[in-house]
Amino acid sequence: MSYVLTCPNCGPREVTDFGFGGEVNPRPRSVPSQRELNTYNYFRKNVAGVQREWWFHRSGCGAWFLAERDTRTNEVLLTELPGETDEAPGAGRAPGGVGEPAGGAGGTL
Amino acid sequence: MSRLPQRDGQRIDRSREVLFTFDGKRVFALEGDTIGSALFAAGRRTFSRSFKYHRPRGLFCCAGQCPNCLVQVDGAPGVRACTEPVREGMRVEHMNARPSLDFDVMRATDKVGTAFTPPGFYYKTFIRPRRLWPLYEKVLRHAAGLGKLRKSQREREWRTEYRRRHADVLVVGGGAAGLSAAIAAAELGADVVLCDEGAEPGGRLLAEGGHEHARELASKARAAGVELLSNAPALGAFDGLVPVWQGATLHQIRAQRVVYATGTIEQPLLFAGNDLPGVMLSGGALRLAALYAVRPGTRAVVATVDDRGLEAAVALRDAGVEIAAVADMRGEDASDSSLAFKEVERRSIGVMRGARVAAARGRKQVERVTLASDHFGEMDLACDLLVVSGGSAPATSLLSQAGARTAYDEERGVFALADLPEDVLAAGEVAGAGALEDAELSGTVAGAEAAHALGKGDGDSRARAEAGRARMGEIARRPANVAVPPPVTLSANSRGAGAHGPPLRSAAGGPEATTAGRSHRRRSGKCFACLCEDVTVKDIHLSVAEGYDSIELSKRYTTTTMGPCQGRMCQLPAIRQMAAETGQTLADVGTTTSRPPWHAVPMGALAGRPFEPAKRSAIHGRHRDLNATVMWAGDWRRAYDYGDARGEALAVHEAAGLIDVSTLGKLIVRGPDAGELLDRLYPNRFSNLKPGRIRYGVIASDAGRIVDDGTICRLDDETFYVTTTSSGAGAVYEWFSWWLADWRLDVHLTDVTQGLAAVNLAGPRAREIMGKVTELDCSSEAFTYLDGKQAQVAGVNSLILRIGFVGEVGYEIHFPAAHGEHLWDALLEAGAEHGLRPFGLEPQRLLRLQKMHILVGQDTDSESTPFGAAMPWIVKLDKEDDFIGKWALERLAEDPPETALVGFTLANGDVPTEGAAVLPHNGSPMGQVTSARYSPQLGRTIGMAWVPAELAQDGASVTISDNGRRLRAQVVTKPFYDPDGEVLRS
Amino acid sequence: MTLAFLSPSADALCRSPMERQARAAGASFEERDGWNVPVRFDGEDAERERTRSTVGFADMSHLGKVEVQGEHVPELELGRATLAEGVWWLPYTQERAVALCEPAGLAAVREGLAGGVDVTTAFAALAIEGPLARELFARFTAIDLREQATFVHGFRPGSVARTPGAILRQANQRWLMLFGAALGQYMWTVVADAAESLGGGPVAADVLTPVGERTEVAPHA
Repeated sequence: MSYVLTCPNCGPREVTDFGFGGEVNPRPRSVPSQRELNTYNYFRKNVAGVQREWWFHRSGCGAWFLAERDTRTNEVLLTELPGETDEAPGAGRAPGGVGEPAGGAGGTL
Repeated sequence: MSRLPQRDGQRIDRSREVLFTFDGKRVFALEGDTIGSALFAAGRRTFSRSFKYHRPRGLFCCAGQCPNCLVQVDGAPGVRACTEPVREGMRVEHMNARPSLDFDVMRATDKVGTAFTPPGFYYKTFIRPRRLWPLYEKVLRHAAGLGKLRKSQREREWRTEYRRRHADVLVVGGGAAGLSAAIAAAELGADVVLCDEGAEPGGRLLAEGGHEHARELASKARAAGVELLSNAPALGAFDGLVPVWQGATLHQIRAQRVVYATGTIEQPLLFAGNDLPGVMLSGGALRLAALYAVRPGTRAVVATVDDRGLEAAVALRDAGVEIAAVADMRGEDASDSSLAFKEVERRSIGVMRGARVAAARGRKQVERVTLASDHFGEMDLACDLLVVSGGSAPATSLLSQAGARTAYDEERGVFALADLPEDVLAAGEVAGAGALEDAELSGTVAGAEAAHALGKGDGDSRARAEAGRARMGEIARRPANVAVPPPVTLSANSRGAGAHGPPLRSAAGGPEATTAGRSHRRRSGKCFACLCEDVTVKDIHLSVAEGYDSIELSKRYTTTTMGPCQGRMCQLPAIRQMAAETGQTLADVGTTTSRPPWHAVPMGALAGRPFEPAKRSAIHGRHRDLNATVMWAGDWRRAYDYGDARGEALAVHEAAGLIDVSTLGKLIVRGPDAGELLDRLYPNRFSNLKPGRIRYGVIASDAGRIVDDGTICRLDDETFYVTTTSSGAGAVYEWFSWWLADWRLDVHLTDVTQGLAAVNLAGPRAREIMGKVTELDCSSEAFTYLDGKQAQVAGVNSLILRIGFVGEVGYEIHFPAAHGEHLWDALLEAGAEHGLRPFGLEPQRLLRLQKMHILVGQDTDSESTPFGAAMPWIVKLDKEDDFIGKWALERLAEDPPETALVGFTLANGDVPTEGAAVLPHNGSPMGQVTSARYSPQLGRTIGMAWVPAELAQDGASVTISDNGRRLRAQVVTKPFYDPDGEVLRS
Repeated sequence: MTLAFLSPSADALCRSPMERQARAAGASFEERDGWNVPVRFDGEDAERERTRSTVGFADMSHLGKVEVQGEHVPELELGRATLAEGVWWLPYTQERAVALCEPAGLAAVREGLAGGVDVTTAFAALAIEGPLARELFARFTAIDLREQATFVHGFRPGSVARTPGAILRQANQRWLMLFGAALGQYMWTVVADAAESLGGGPVAADVLTPVGERTEVAPHA
């Protein structure tokens, strides 16, 4: 896996430049039911096809942006900064690494 | 040494001798020789022993494609002798033969062992009795395998590196088509790289009389600005990235367009004894003669399916090899109008149309060949060279990896390109343009098209490219004039002869015994479909009989195509056999998936320059000076201790200690909405924190789980200083900025983790020491617990936080990293008379454990909640506004956790392993030990553990199961040291 | 003065995170504007020759850096640095930029910028100059630095030696690379090792070609 993503700020970079934030999974805008909360926290669509997802340009400008990527081919159809389209960006849940930032012996002050 | 007379285009320099050794014996070579050509010239015919049966194998392709000449060079195994240039003094050794290449005792497996070595034999034959497997394994490992790698090879230390190359156009393959493509693209202004696996570009031209033309094309390419990489095979295609291996450099080439001009691979023919030394592909024989002036044999039989073999017969005759006969598998009615045919006739070389090789025989190399035809039956011919040419299979593997599709071409009997992705082009023989002028035209067209796709060129160049493309269509429609070799049929008595092979059901078009009784005995020699893994036609037959009747299954079962040749020599024959065995068409059988690496590559070449980004604090050099034990902590290198962890911990209690905590994550959160942002991100409240005060915070996820923790100091109304765990720094910054991207509050984040050094000065004498380095009033009244103040410390602007992670009065000083050593030195100097000692990570862990301060990730995991971790007080569910984790925490608050994090002590001094299970009375495990240390200060073992919630009370007794030991521990819920924080606040 | 503790003090010498590596490579130092700066490795002539025939690299961690965000960011074109009155403006995003200046000018730049945060010590920096500079970069970064992709004054944030960084093309053959200060020792070893394989090596900042304010030819801009 070594495809190229185009950062809306920096331009094309190797995918290893970026952190993956998972598929867009909007946070409920009002108090959710238990089922809604669990769906939001624990369930993902995981589509085989075009997926809207979060990326973070960790090695570059340090900005979050959205991408539309075909999960079968890794073809990236679009990247944009949040708010560039009318759709509310709706941050999702913890991106990959954030859920468990402190791993084992590394989790030290 | 016997060489042919001077030849045009030869690569050797007869005036310069090179001396090397083979198995300890001296070999004289010429500059420009390969190991293979030099050994062959010196009379060697056996170059290796085969993988399974230890049969002698000789030079076959002379192009680095087959496994037959793998040798060990200066300790490095798996080197192809036929392409590796000779170097003065190199030590070459044979592989996989004992005691010697010419006498290998393991050859017995060939003579008698066949019954025990059917496909998958290691799963079957050597399984019972099971207890003997370790012995079997040892024997098998000793018998098989290629070469030996010594564990320590100091002399082979090899520095390799990556080189990134961006380009407009990459051309893979430096034959006539590739060079033409590169020239066309470069002349239109594209930035072009061409990589080729040969010692010089030119491809087939070099050995087939076109060397001058090849060199013209190469210099034209150079003049056009093409970067030419020789001895540089492409290894694969990874989403547009093509790694190209060239000696100690791995080029990582990313081009907008890639033109593959990878040519074709000459195929072997299948017949009994087809692996004998002296059986050689026509290309191999030609290369030996043309490039190295080595005569590949004295009397040759040629067997071919197309003009390639005829051309070889002509060239070899001209080089002085007697041609005993040419068996041309094309029938009498095939066209004989080609130039090659006329040249053969002109030399009066006898061509037998419709004839094929039935068997080759000989003890150590080919001595006799049996030809067969419907016309004359059978005929034996004496020879020492059997030149075979089984057709040209397009080298589509890299193209397939790049996304191209292939389809079976019935007329040519090969899998040919069917369609290509947008950014990929093909040129030359791989695209069906084999003749020189066709190859050049197709290259020129592909190169121009690649450049045009990038916006280069003009109307004229586009028109020319279109005309060329149309011409290519005409070329593709020309008749092929090749014979497609039929599958090999097994003789009657060998069909059922396998140890486990039941006779096959008779499928349509399936195997039929075609050999007459008088001849089958001498044909019972093995017929190899796969040279790398010693897989015979019979093995494929057996694998189908056992049910492995798809090509992908058969590949895994027989390991055909999985050896060093990567399917170059065996893919097509295996598919043909499979089709015959199963009665399918070749199109139905299909090909196996092409995978990298396409070309064999040493692991070391993939290693590259070491890139291990280690973060080091600005004070790191001082820790080294103080002989610290340095260890990894996350992506930082940190001082674990200074050789005396217990003494360092005691110093903190008795006098003072100084620890480098620069690794803490540090964020400036600034703006009118800064307080609101933190209120939304933390379960507790920060908007009401007063400037100059500090509050501890835990970050929770929306599932209510602990993500990170740290302290937050409010600097002014709009500015907060947030610290995080060392390993959580990056993730917390990303977490904050991610939510900010959604909420769009008026707040700015600045990560100053690496910009600030931080040290914690702690202990009963810390206040006195501070008094010597700062004018700030550090009295307990003026600078109270959880105050944050700015002042100069030893002349350095600092932020001083009065917090107490280690349980004593402490000052955490944050200051610009550029002053790291200066402030560290000043503090140690000021504290020397007060007993100040530096302390490392390990004593800090003990000290914080005495205070039951958790380490996120050590004492908590991805399921831990603030309630379970005994910190309900940091969750402010009465906050009116929403915050991350609120909904989940509200539910968790009503539903008490099953397990809780508590402290424990052990009276007898045993220290349980971190991770040991906690057992309730007679129950199954209900938790685990997360931290445990012996505390010299307290004189007992202390620790933290998750225990059943009902046991989370002082004095409760739990059992810890640790590697078979049962330990009784007492639960403690308040800090072991200074439970009420009096020391801390003093 | 809320964030005074971020700024280097005049009362104590500042040290680069690569100081020990430079010393081990034979550097001698001088104090300049509060920083201990390498002023000589193997001699001015040899060092200058390196920047002309192969590649030389110089520690520039002492450069002042001030981050501005939000409404305080001046109008800048992404991907292009702007040099004005001795200050390089490096645009990371539309919302965030870093001003880069000589250490002597840091206080003035910082105070002149509303909302500026002093990040001088958060980044280490190496200047890389010479005809083989691009080849050197090719050994540890995947960023496309060809003329057609990175014109003079081009600014490219991205991964360098597998860590976050940014590359500024200051002049035709002169580049500046920024990266995390804690990675100074690591980065020095990577760059020094790669430079050595190309016949290059460390140089003092003094031998670098001065960078003018005039934008040099940028044909592909």
